[in-house]
Amino acid sequence: MFEVLAAYIFPLLILAVAFFSGNVIASRHEKRLSERQQTVAHIRTTDLNRFFKPDHSIQANLCTAEVTLGIDHFRGFLGSLKNIFGGQIRSYQKTLDRARREALMQVIEQAHMTGYNAVANLRLEFVDISGKANMVKRASMVTIIAYGTAYTTHAPLNEEEQRSISPLPAAIG
Amino acid sequence: MIVVNTDSLPGYEISHSLGIVQGNVVRAKHVGRDIAASFKNIVGGELKGYTELLTDARRDAMARMLAQATELGADAVINVRFSTSAITQGAAELYVYGTAVKLATSTTRAAVEGTPPPISVT
Repeated sequence: MFEVLAAYIFPLLILAVAFFSGNVIASRHEKRLSERQQTVAHIRTTDLNRFFKPDHSIQANLCTAEVTLGIDHFRGFLGSLKNIFGGQIRSYQKTLDRARREALMQVIEQAHMTGYNAVANLRLEFVDISGKANMVKRASMVTIIAYGTAYTTHAPLNEEEQRSISPLPAAIG
Repeated sequence: MIVVNTDSLPGYEISHSLGIVQGNVVRAKHVGRDIAASFKNIVGGELKGYTELLTDARRDAMARMLAQATELGADAVINVRFSTSAITQGAAELYVYGTAVKLATSTTRAAVEGTPPPISVT
């Protein structure tokens, strides 16, 4: 009896828990990201290596952020199934997407909190801290470093311009 | 020390380059963090232990780069880039590099006297 329990029920239970908690954590995170987006919506962001109408009296400064997100066991399991046949692994894409949004958001928030209103030359870097062993195991994690140069701009901001340069889409499908 | 990842600076002109400065750190995760993270990994979400690890690594690498720049007598480090590599399981290298430069106050777009000192990168 216990053998059956250990062999089938526990893994299923873990998958079920991972499925629900993973969903809750992901949707909560996305909701929070959208809320935080509102407070920094006025920050001009670009990945171009140039300043738009900078205020020359205010020193520019580097802002960095890093974030590590785990891919829950259910999505890891789905991913490993998908790996057999190939094709898009949507659950991984979403996690990566969230990690990038979070890292970018932290950079922009840092710029906002230190009194700047624009970030230039945003860069995103993927870090592999899991090492090779995790490539074999199904559950994994993603780590992103984001960085950019915060500065103060005098460029006018209208809604349309802001929408066209914002790297953070309001909703991700 | 001004640190930016762009190749110019508002309010200043770059008078000359002092060459590349760099800093690297190899950090290993410790077992305690691994265990905590593996539990958190079941349900997904942020793995704070690893984020902190990376923050520390980045700080150390930056400090090394800035020490080099200070030694050269630089005013700023521009075009800073981060690069990483996985060495073995559980250890990662964080490498940061940039160009140390001497600054001259721009004649046409001078930074105003009494510019606040650079905010230290946290």
